[in-house]
Amino acid sequence: MPEAMSLQDMFVGTLAGAAIVVMGAFYALFYALAKMHRHRVAHATALASYAGLVVATYFLVDALKLHGIWLWVAAVMVAGYFLAPRAIWQLCVGTHEESAT
Amino acid sequence: MSEAAANPIDRAEETDDGNRPGQKLALYYFSAAMVLFAAQILFGLIIGLQYLYPDLLYNVLDFSVARMVHINAMIVWLLMGFIGCIYWLVEDEAGRDLVGAKLAFVNFWILTGAVAVVVAVYLFVQIGPGELRSIWLINEGREYIEAPRWADIGIVVCVLIFFYNVAATFTKGRWSGISGVLVLDLIALAALYLAGMYFTPNISVDQHWWWWVVHLWVEATWEVLVGCIMAWGLIRTLGANRRIVTTWLYIEVAMMFGSGILGLGHHYFWIGTPEYWLTIGGFFSALEPIPLVAMVVHAVYDAGRHGFKSSNHPALAWLIAHAFGNFFGAGVWGFMHTLPQINLYTHGTQWTASHGHLAFFGAYATIVIAIIYLAIQKARGDVWMSGALPGNGFAWKWSLALLNIGVLGMTVALLISGYEQSFVERALEGSTWSAYFEAQQTPWFVQGMQWRMVFGWITAAGLALLLWDLATIGRRETRPVQVLNPVPA
Repeated sequence: MPEAMSLQDMFVGTLAGAAIVVMGAFYALFYALAKMHRHRVAHATALASYAGLVVATYFLVDALKLHGIWLWVAAVMVAGYFLAPRAIWQLCVGTHEESAT
Repeated sequence: MSEAAANPIDRAEETDDGNRPGQKLALYYFSAAMVLFAAQILFGLIIGLQYLYPDLLYNVLDFSVARMVHINAMIVWLLMGFIGCIYWLVEDEAGRDLVGAKLAFVNFWILTGAVAVVVAVYLFVQIGPGELRSIWLINEGREYIEAPRWADIGIVVCVLIFFYNVAATFTKGRWSGISGVLVLDLIALAALYLAGMYFTPNISVDQHWWWWVVHLWVEATWEVLVGCIMAWGLIRTLGANRRIVTTWLYIEVAMMFGSGILGLGHHYFWIGTPEYWLTIGGFFSALEPIPLVAMVVHAVYDAGRHGFKSSNHPALAWLIAHAFGNFFGAGVWGFMHTLPQINLYTHGTQWTASHGHLAFFGAYATIVIAIIYLAIQKARGDVWMSGALPGNGFAWKWSLALLNIGVLGMTVALLISGYEQSFVERALEGSTWSAYFEAQQTPWFVQGMQWRMVFGWITAAGLALLLWDLATIGRRETRPVQVLNPVPA
């Protein structure tokens, strides 16, 4: 049974959960914009958003007192959010190229 | 007989004038869906007021009954909306008229009549003795799918007829990637409903199967259904390349099912199922927003190529509202309270209601409204619905704004109330009966409910404007629809 979060961590825990998804979306958005327009600022913003996601995950792990297998859940989530937008970009390029030929 | 007349596919394409039987039937479904949407909002206003004035309609229309009608009306209007969307697109996709159209019309009237009877029983009979007879005739007692047993069986029969119409139309016409996914999804949709009809006196086992209907409909089969409708909608509004859209539909299905099916575990945390569900539910729930986040990349990629030139601005605006609503409602609001360490406090509070409001509206209501705008455009004679509409499109723009502001405002207000409830009722007071009432008297909870009511009225105003716009848009339009050429890859 995972440990329930403490009362004082409730705000940080829920806010960190929301921040992970929002930062993940910002990362995906700016990553795509940077790829599309070869824009350095967009690329930097994407990396900063991902860093924000990692920080939010740290706060979530801390607030929820995650340990054992739950740390793996957090690690897979962080890796998944990093790789998914890149994989989708490759699929975008691939599908459009294939369709054009 | 001409060559075209001998070939049903060619014949259907020749007579594509918006008067095909399936598309006529779709308009019936859309009309019934909008009536139920209005009922959902009406009963939502009543239960919102009952939070503020607990004596309102006490012993006449109690909160428990009005809430049941509010939620059931939502589920049924979305289902009727989806059915309408599919009847609308099936002939377009299959390239021929609907197979079994007469049966489909009879089916519509039976389904609509049954819904009317069920609602009348909900309102005028309300409850019955604790006997099997009550389950068969009044209310099955399972939250969200309270329909009595006779209506359950009727729903299965109606869905089977609907399935026959769709599958037979594709079989006699032509298959496509979209239609293949759609038909397979309809099988899953109908089969999963049967899980909700399994009765057992063991509440844990009962809840285990009940969640199959609620979760696997909403977070798996409905999402895929919406993916099919969205794919077809993008082809129609943006002229998107069919091959690319279909490829993305397959990818979306893989990602949604990959994370969504076992995401079911987040409903098994507290119903007496084995402890491993905490890990499974937590893990897959953490992955569930990833497809939504990843899709942001695809949206940016495609938007850059298409430049948002559209033949139907209201429909496109609602499709965009769908993309954002799905992301925030299902993704952000869902993940915020889905891990068991947090869910221990938030489960079943107004937090859940907050998530439910934004997710159902954002993910499902928006896309049904988008397709209704497409249908209206064709039904009114393929008229112009791009930019420069009369009055600068005042009605559709304001209804879109009011409905979205209203639902978003309710979501935030309910979140504040839910946070207070989780804090006081669950964490501080330990979920006791007295804590339940104590939490509901705290100022933050009450003020959240007051603001929810304000935004509820805004939502109702948005709906009124939407209904007026749907009834009038394009009626006096003389310009033909803007023709879009398919966008090259």
